[in-house]
Formats: sequence, C-alpha cells, structure tokens
Amino acid sequence: MTDQSHLPDPSLSDHVLAALDIVVLEWEEEAGEFRLQGAPPEWWGQRFGPAIRCSQDPSQCSPFLQDYLTGIHRVWQGGPGTIEKSGPWTESDQQGGTMTLEARALSLGLRKLVLIERLGSDFENMRSIVQRARERMLAEDLTAKSHHKAETRLIGRLEASERTKDDALALLQQLGLAAMVLDEHGQIAFATDRTLEMLGIAAQEAIGQPWDQVLSFRKEDRRLVQHLLEGSSQTRSGGPLCLEGACSRWIELEIHRDLRHPVRRILILSDRTELHALRQALNEQASFHDLVGKSAAMLRVYQLVRDVAQVDTTVLIEGETGTGKELIARAIHSSSGRRNKPFLAANCAGLTDSILTSQLFGHKRGAFTGAIQDQQGLFEAAEGGTLFLDEIGDIPPQVQTALLRVLQEKEITRLGEAKPRTVNVRVVAATHHNLSEDVLRGSFRADLLYRIRIARVQLPPLRDRPEDIPLLAQSMLEKICAPTGKTVERLHPDTLRVLMSYSWPGNVRELKSAVEFAVISCKGNEICPADLPPEITGATMASSPSVFIPLSNQDEKTRLLTALSDANGNRTEAAKRLGISRATFYRRLVEFDIHAH
Amino acid sequence: MMQKKVCMLGGFAVGKTSLVRRFVTNVFSEHYQTTIGVTVEKKTVTVDHQDVMLMLWDLYGEDEFQHVRESYLRGSSGYILVIDGTRKATLDTARLLQQTVVRTVGPLPFVAIINKSDLRSEWEIDQPVIEQLREQGWPVFFGSAKLGQGVDELFAHLAAMLLSPAPPSRICP
Ligand SMILES: Nc1nc2c(ncn2[C@@H]2O[C@H](COP(=O)(O)OP(=O)(O)OP(=O)(O)O)[C@@H](O)[C@H]2O)c(=O)[nH]1
Ligand SMILES: [Mg+2]
Repeated sequence: MTDQSHLPDPSLSDHVLAALDIVVLEWEEEAGEFRLQGAPPEWWGQRFGPAIRCSQDPSQCSPFLQDYLTGIHRVWQGGPGTIEKSGPWTESDQQGGTMTLEARALSLGLRKLVLIERLGSDFENMRSIVQRARERMLAEDLTAKSHHKAETRLIGRLEASERTKDDALALLQQLGLAAMVLDEHGQIAFATDRTLEMLGIAAQEAIGQPWDQVLSFRKEDRRLVQHLLEGSSQTRSGGPLCLEGACSRWIELEIHRDLRHPVRRILILSDRTELHALRQALNEQASFHDLVGKSAAMLRVYQLVRDVAQVDTTVLIEGETGTGKELIARAIHSSSGRRNKPFLAANCAGLTDSILTSQLFGHKRGAFTGAIQDQQGLFEAAEGGTLFLDEIGDIPPQVQTALLRVLQEKEITRLGEAKPRTVNVRVVAATHHNLSEDVLRGSFRADLLYRIRIARVQLPPLRDRPEDIPLLAQSMLEKICAPTGKTVERLHPDTLRVLMSYSWPGNVRELKSAVEFAVISCKGNEICPADLPPEITGATMASSPSVFIPLSNQDEKTRLLTALSDANGNRTEAAKRLGISRATFYRRLVEFDIHAH
Repeated sequence: MMQKKVCMLGGFAVGKTSLVRRFVTNVFSEHYQTTIGVTVEKKTVTVDHQDVMLMLWDLYGEDEFQHVRESYLRGSSGYILVIDGTRKATLDTARLLQQTVVRTVGPLPFVAIINKSDLRSEWEIDQPVIEQLREQGWPVFFGSAKLGQGVDELFAHLAAMLLSPAPPSRICP
C-alpha cells in the first residue's frame, strides 16, 4: 500500500506521459525484465510492438537499446539522481522511414527507470545545420583542391616557360647576339648582355629607358630609325648607323615585330665598326685627299706622302705636266703638323728675276719702279705653313741663290732691305724637268738641288696607271655634273675602253678636260665614245709618249697663239684648252717669246 | 549465434554509411546524408563454417562538431577505420580515432580501409604512406563502396580477426 501511495494516479501519469511523447520502461527485478509504464506513444508501437521484454529476446529489440540496457545497471548503482543519456540512435520504423531516439536511465527511490524519447524538430534543425556545414566543408575542400591543382599546373607551366625563357636567354647570350625588345611605348624592355657591352652601359641604364635616349644616333639616323620602327614589317637600317659617344660605333639595325605583341619591336644590332673602318680605309686607298686612284703606283705615292708629311724636310715632287703635283703638295701639307697654317703656291715659270724675287721675299717701298709700298713676300705670308714652288727648274740663277739661303739659314731679306727676317716655312717644290740634267747643263745649282731633293715624290704619268682611269673619270663626272645640274650618270664601257687606251700626254688634267667636253656633248645620262673630243677617239696609243706634246716648234707656237686668241687672251683658260698647266703654258710663252696681254 | 559489435570509425563523409549499406543491403547512393548519432545494422557472416552476426555500429563522422562518444565504443569486439583516399586529412583523423579506441577500450582488432578507390587518380595518399601504416601494424585495405570493391573482403577479414584465438597483431597507439 505504502508503495502504491508513492505513485501518482495511474490515469494521470498515462496522460502526462502521452503528452510528453515519452516511453517509460521500468526494471522489474523479480522478473528480470523491463516493463512498459503507461500507454506508449504511437511511434513506439510501430517499431517495438505493445510491450518490450528485451531480456527474453534481445535479438528482437533494438541492438542499440539492448547494448544500452545491458550497461544500465552501472548507472543505477551510481545512486539516486544519476542520469545517463544514450546519445541519439536511429531506428527504422515499419513504414520504411527512420526515427531518431534517445534514452536516459534514472532511478527514483528504489525504482529503476529508462525514459526513451523521439528526437523532434530541434534535433532535425541541428542535423540540417551539421549537414550544411559538412557539405560546405567538402565543397571548400574541393575548391581548394582544384585551386591547388590549377596552381600546381600553373607553377609547372611557369617553371617550364621560365626554363624555356632561361634556355632561350642563355642561347641568346651564348650566341653573343646583341638584341633588345622595345615595349609599346618604345622603351627598352629587355637587352642582351652583348647589347649592353656594345653600348658600354649597365642594364639599369637601359631597361625602361626610351630607345632614342640609349641609342645615341645622329639626328637624321634617329629619324630614320623612328620611321622604321613605325613600319609594320621586318626591316633593316640599310647601311650602318653611327652611334655617337666617347668612342663612336657603327651598327646595322634589324627590326622585327614581336609576334606575340604586334606593337612591340625586337631590335637586332650588328656591330659594323670594324667593317666600317676597313671600308673607310679602302675608300681612302681609292682616293687620298683630292687624289683619285687605287693603282699600285698611286698607293705607293699615298704612302710616300704620309711618310713625308711626318718629317719637316723640303720635298721635291717630280711628274709630268697634269699629273697633279700641286695636289700632292697640298696632301703633304694637310697631312703634316703644319695643316692649320697657310698653304701658298707660287708658279716660278715665266717670271722675271725681280718679279719672282719680290713675289717670294717681298720688297721695301721704292725698291724698284712701281714698288709703291712695303710688301711682304710669300715666304713671310706662309709663316708656319707650307710654300709650294711649282716649276722650280725654271727659276733664274739669282733667285736660286736667294732660295738656297732661305733653305739654309731660314732667313729672307726683302728686296731693298738689308736686314734679314727669320721665317719658318716648309718648301715643297715641283718640277716636270729632270733637274739632274739641268744641273749637268749648268742651268740649276747642284747645292740647291740637294737641298730641295731631301725627300722625293715621283708621280706616275696617267698612261702608267690606266686602271685608275675609270675611277678618275667617274669621280670627275660627278664633280662636273654637280654644279651644272646635268644628270650624266656614267660612262659607257666602250667610252672607258677608249679612255684607257689613250696615252694622255696631258695626264689627269687632259682627262678632266676630255670629260668636261663629253658632258657638254652628252645627250643622255651615259657618256658614249662619240661624246669624247675627236683627238682622243681618233688617236691611237702613242708608242713612246713624252712629256711634251710632240709638235714642231712652229706648230707648237701656232697652237699656243690659237689657244690664247680662242681664250680671248685669258692664259689660264688657254692653258686649260691645251690641257697643260698654267705653269707649263707660261714657260712655253717665255720659250716662244710670246707676250700675251 | 555469436554476435560481435563492430564500430565504423572515421572522419565525416569518408563512406562509413556507404560501406555498411553496400555490405548489408548492397546499395549505394551518391547523395550524402550525414549520420547523426548511431545506426546499427546487422549482417551474418560465416567464418570457418561458423556463423557470426556482425552488429555494425555506423557512427557519426568525427570532426569539430562531434567527437566520438566513449559509451558507443564500449562492448566493441573490433572496429573499422575508414579513410577517404581523396582527402589526406581523413588519415590523420583515423590515426587520432585509433588512439582514442586504445585509450578507451584497449587494443581491439581493427582493419583500415582507404575508400573511394574508384577515384584513384585523385587520391592524396600515396604508396609510401600506406607502407608506413602497414609497418605500424595496420591491416590496410583499398576499396570502393561505390563499386562494391573490397567491401566483403574487408568485413570478412575483420570477422576472421574477431574469431581468431590469437590476439591482434601489433597495435600501435
Ligand atoms: N566515389 C565514391 N564516393 C563514395 C564512396 N563511398 C562513399 N561515397 C560518397 O561519399 C559521400 C559520403 O558518404 P557516406 O557514406 O555518407 O560517408 P560517412 O562516412 O557515412 O559520412 P558521415 O556520416 O557524415 O560521417 C557520399 O556522397 C557518398 O556517395 C566511394 O567508394 N566512391
Ligand atoms: Mg554516415
């Protein structure tokens, strides 16, 4: 009875339990089994039937519950108030669905109870939160993985392309190729070591800089390169361009489009400095100062001129009329240390004793009739420089003596003065005579000859170097045409053949007049043999050419007079017409006693 | 008939539920529904002519939200450590769980399975690591709940271990 009084009204407790949706099992010690208390909720009946007697048939009831109930006595021994939850477990119901249950064991006084509840909406909420969280973690894991994969792939590709780039770069550097890449703004994005070496700069001075600041081209070349860069096709600079700087360089440019970035340009630079220097040297060999010719004989002359220019001695230039003796004298002067001082030329032919003396040494006012004022001579005027005395073989004996004194003492005395003046002038003399013969004949002082002939340059006649004729003729053609505006471009090969087979007694001067004549006659842009003066086309190679035009004295005198009258008394013009130098012309006038006024 | 409690342990989504379902009912679903708490499935296997009922405790996955309850482990005869081959981190989880079991219920027989072998190209666990596990005394299986590969062998092997009189080989905590 007492036990009964502890229990609530059975119908009330049934209602309460039904309202709580809880199953209550009580352990029946004597029977050794659990007994369901009150009316169980509907879900319980669906899963386990109206009663549960697990101790009798454990395989029939829930394995989880069985496991839980097996260990439950341990909980009850824990004393009153001890509650242990089973944790949620899932059971399938008879409709093929599932339900999640949780059990708790507790003891009330002597009574040992197990409460089982079905987890409801709170549990479902928790489940869906965990589900979402895990799904998200899996998704993030997948994303991270695909990122990682992409990253690995990209790193792999980057490494591969870096390797390719390094290989290409190494190859480029190994090849010693001077190349640079310009970006879309014309700034240098990359330059090989060879380029930097060629330009003599460090990488940081080049990279990111505008090309025209790094490549110090001359203004017009810069414009040309700009133009080439603006073009879209692959081009070359044509000839070498000069990079100005401490030591200037000649480079040839090759411009390519960067196929990956059409606005970027790849420049390949080839150093042509050495080649340029060699070409220059070659050109120099074909012409020297104003002398033209690359025959062995002329090359020897150029070398001789260079050698002679190095020393300060008197030089004698020997050569037939028209061979360009004055040009040699000028070349010696311009190659010598005196190049910045005056170069004066005097023609000693056809001048009287006193005129020549006054011309060379100057005079005092009143020294002779017509000497109205003091006048310095060429020696004084050429102070520090070079005095070229042409036709030295023609100077009268008194002048020879005075000249010898200058050469020995470095002093001159003006005509009409007593006091000598010191001069520093280099004398370069020229003659078409054989002065040794003149000495033998007694017309030239031996001591003066030895003074003059310390150094000698012998100019070959043109007929001895016919291979120079095409070069000479072409160079003359260009010079003659330039001021006239005529566009005669070349000489026909037949014309060159005629020119080369002619004996040229008047040498280069005669060739020049022939070309001048031909330019006037020429109708097209090419000189034909018919354009040449008749004496050249008609002439055959002279078997034994001489310095003089081989005519009898009478014929020669007539020729001189005709030339003079044709030139209206202008001696320079008359000499030109005859293809002889003014000096020779004057000498001839004196010889034939012609007084031209 | 002899009954043996076997716990399925492993990180979340490694395929514990899928392996049990493939073994018990021979079905597989691509759809992932995480297990909360426990579901117990039964299947009888025969080892050396002796039937044994495996009570398969499919536990929830171990992660920061849920840690394995020691009460679930109690009374186990053995366990299966499930690892997802495509997620290296699940191997670390399996290692921790193995230590937990040893700490809680002692050195029970177990087998490890690296699941999802149908995705072998995406595996993050390579051969040297597997060799290392084997050297530590882990019986390591490969399998796929999706394709049903290695599943029966896995459970059969464990059942044999459970019935074998010899204690489990080497168990490293
Ligand atoms: N490709 C492939 N997918 C699998 C395999 N096994 C399981 N899955 C998939 O993996 C996901 C998780 O599988 P579950 O079996 O639910 O994993 P679990 O270990 O029970 O997960 P929790 O209960 O959350 O701990 C599901 O989407 C499955 O379809 C397999 O062998 N191959
Ligand atoms: Mg699961």
